[in-house]
Amino acid sequence: MSAPTDPHSTIPDRLANAGGLKKGVARELSRDTGLHEADIYGVGSFYHLLARPEKRVRVCGGLSCQLAGSREILSACQAAGLPTEEISCLAACDRAPAVLRDRRTLPMVTIQDAERSGGKVEDLCSNGSESVWCGTIGPQEADAETLCLNLSAEPDWSGSAFNAASTMEPSALFDLIEESGLQGRGGAGFPAHIKWRAVADQAEQERYIVLNADEGEPGTFKDREILLRRPDLVLEGLAIAAAATGSSEIYLYLRGEFEVPGGVLAEAIQATTEAGRFPGITFHMHAGQGAYICGEETAMLEALEGKRGMPRLKPPFPVEIGLWNKPTLIHNVETIACIPGIVLQGGTWFKDLGRTEAGSKLYCVSGHVQNPGTYELPLGVSLDELVEAAGGYVGTLKAFSPGGASSGFLPASERGRALDFKGLGAIGSMLGSAGVVVLNDTINMRWAAEEQLRFFEEESCGQCAPCRIGTHYLHAAVKGGEEKSLGLTHVADVAWQMNEGSICGLGQAAALPLTSALKYFPEDFA
Amino acid sequence: MSAMNQTLVLDGRKVELQQGDTILDAASRANTSIPTLCHDPRLKPVGACRTCLIEVEGSRRLLPACATPATEGMVIHTQNERVDRHRKTLLGLYLTDHNKDRNHGLGGAPNQLVAMAHEVGAPTDWGQLPSKRKANSEDDNPYILFDAEQCIACARCTRYCDEVESVSAITLAGRGSETTISTNDGLSLLDTTCEMCGGCIDTCPTGAMTERKAAAMQAPPEWDLKQVRSTCNFCGVGCQLNLHVDEAANAGRGRIIKVTSPPAGTTSNDGNLCVKGRFAYDFVDHNERLTTPLIRDKAGVLQPATWEEALAAISLGLAGVSERHGKNSLAFVSSSRCTMEENYLVQKLARQGYGTNNVHQCAAT
Repeated sequence: MSAPTDPHSTIPDRLANAGGLKKGVARELSRDTGLHEADIYGVGSFYHLLARPEKRVRVCGGLSCQLAGSREILSACQAAGLPTEEISCLAACDRAPAVLRDRRTLPMVTIQDAERSGGKVEDLCSNGSESVWCGTIGPQEADAETLCLNLSAEPDWSGSAFNAASTMEPSALFDLIEESGLQGRGGAGFPAHIKWRAVADQAEQERYIVLNADEGEPGTFKDREILLRRPDLVLEGLAIAAAATGSSEIYLYLRGEFEVPGGVLAEAIQATTEAGRFPGITFHMHAGQGAYICGEETAMLEALEGKRGMPRLKPPFPVEIGLWNKPTLIHNVETIACIPGIVLQGGTWFKDLGRTEAGSKLYCVSGHVQNPGTYELPLGVSLDELVEAAGGYVGTLKAFSPGGASSGFLPASERGRALDFKGLGAIGSMLGSAGVVVLNDTINMRWAAEEQLRFFEEESCGQCAPCRIGTHYLHAAVKGGEEKSLGLTHVADVAWQMNEGSICGLGQAAALPLTSALKYFPEDFA
Repeated sequence: MSAMNQTLVLDGRKVELQQGDTILDAASRANTSIPTLCHDPRLKPVGACRTCLIEVEGSRRLLPACATPATEGMVIHTQNERVDRHRKTLLGLYLTDHNKDRNHGLGGAPNQLVAMAHEVGAPTDWGQLPSKRKANSEDDNPYILFDAEQCIACARCTRYCDEVESVSAITLAGRGSETTISTNDGLSLLDTTCEMCGGCIDTCPTGAMTERKAAAMQAPPEWDLKQVRSTCNFCGVGCQLNLHVDEAANAGRGRIIKVTSPPAGTTSNDGNLCVKGRFAYDFVDHNERLTTPLIRDKAGVLQPATWEEALAAISLGLAGVSERHGKNSLAFVSSSRCTMEENYLVQKLARQGYGTNNVHQCAAT
């Protein structure tokens, strides 16, 4: 089914407009759309922003927010009578602890904020901290020539990169991207030019571009900063990709918690469209409804089609069979935002910005550091260099996650290792989304592993057994308590099975926080 | 299906391919067994249960045999150390989330998961997780019971309901370890579009979807019952049934515990039944069931008779009507339970035997 005629794709929005999956809503929407009510219910029950409409306050349970006291905030909100639950990482680790009020992410919420609300959701942080906010960016004395994204610069709406790209043959543009060495910055590090060429080479002429702005990897918030500060780079990069791959329809999938970045982007799209900057190209905004797994590219396609966000089997890959079964180019926000710089300043320029691999890179750093924030540095800096840019450590370094929960934990002895795709992969970790979380020696790693497993159990889509049962098993095993009988004896076998048997990257990586903590910090499990 | 003069290598043997083959199709033709749980030939493959993962040379990851197209020159391993370890650890993991002592469902259907785990030698000592799946305990429909604890979320039931029946009364609901099967708002099946065909029971590999009546009787496992092949007589389609009979019950007269269809692909009903064929079997043992013809005596009381007596009485009665009121004073209506052959005989009886064209079939509204 193609986009304009597919009523199913409207279901998540219709459910959101109806105030979530309240009793009777699915039947009502079934009457409106002619779709089966059970299917609508199944979709609503999948997404946490829809499934429990009575909860309107959600406190971030990510590691960095917990280090900043989010569990106390959670208790205070509940004590104040606010309808509160915990939620997976809100991509505000640099402004922890964060709370989601309806769809609005509130930074640095205090116990006093919760008390002052008097139990009224609307009055939670109604003192101005709810307005548009950005995080810290750096490094402070960077030469603009060394930055591809340059978050502190004013947006550039001249369209010069799009115009320059328009004069190039697509194959020359693909060569340029290949020369730049640009790798996907959502987590996989896949060479961008291969995907562009693959989409352009398809026999099917109807093609789509999808922006993956479902930034949900715990510890990661760089895409939020790009969307807030440089929406110009995102839209221009997308337009260049569309023109070069023979597409005119661009779908932008933002996580549902990105109300503020979404607003900024929507304004930018409107202005762009009115000014006719990218002729023939249409942008479609799509808000997620709460599910980490939808950052997985094929789950995102399912979500865009209005279904439960369960990843597809690969192959076939989206470049061949993607959105509405058409060839689709999917890129993370940061990857696509690099394109204008590459077009304007050249592939070699971009490549040389990196140290061990190509380009400059946005590193998010949070946890036990002085100035949590987003830092654009040469790809391949070490943890020590990154933290130096962020003002130094708080306390004594014990462990760190180099790239979100999925990258597991590394010990302090790896502090000098290059944070890049290849090097971290070689030691069983990964750069992933470069959401670096720093933990000092006050942290018990069994606790940290338990929190990451709790996250994965909640965010597993539940489709395939290795992940659905494996995340449940490992979380229960590391937690102890009632399920003490499980013990840690079989963790290695379960982890092997999850990695080997799971359909998508979530399940394949989900055991890593526990297996790496066991490997590097056995004393915390004694 | 046509031969394509293409082959692949399966565990060292050459196998001819046919158009549209998956690896599972090709293996099954070559009599190589690959375990599956979420696969049903009536449904589109989803590769979700992961039991059929096999190794294909050149692919970094194990691939689902049910969903991977078989292509020329593939070199496939269904038995090696990696695949064996995969099966053992996967099924061992399944068992931690399952009541592994239950080798059959509440309605008596064999639990394919437990059998398969036993067969591959999966570990049984990894501990037990509390099930987080929920079922609607207030669903008061008389026929279908969902035992969430035994569910493996393979979605065969929901896919059957959608792809075969086009009913979509049930769906996968929730997420992660809480993923379960539900109706809209958790309503009773009676309050949904469900037609009570029981196909969800038929396709369920673990007995999680099960016959409520059989479960209430604490049905013995299917393998302890006598299976009697029969033809459904509720309509003329001729669906084949397997009656599962407890021979010792009813003082040796036997009792039907439940009715299933022969496996998909073996009979014209292709594994499907409707609510009548699957669930409306209580009449068989009913004490008011007619077992001989009855003729009214002069006092108007029905009395047992032989078929000869009954047919003679009918013939006499029909001839009387014809004499008194003419041949067209009577119409013949056959039952929707009649087969095509029986309908043919009814019209022959009306036209040739009785002499009227007043003949109809009640399903031809």
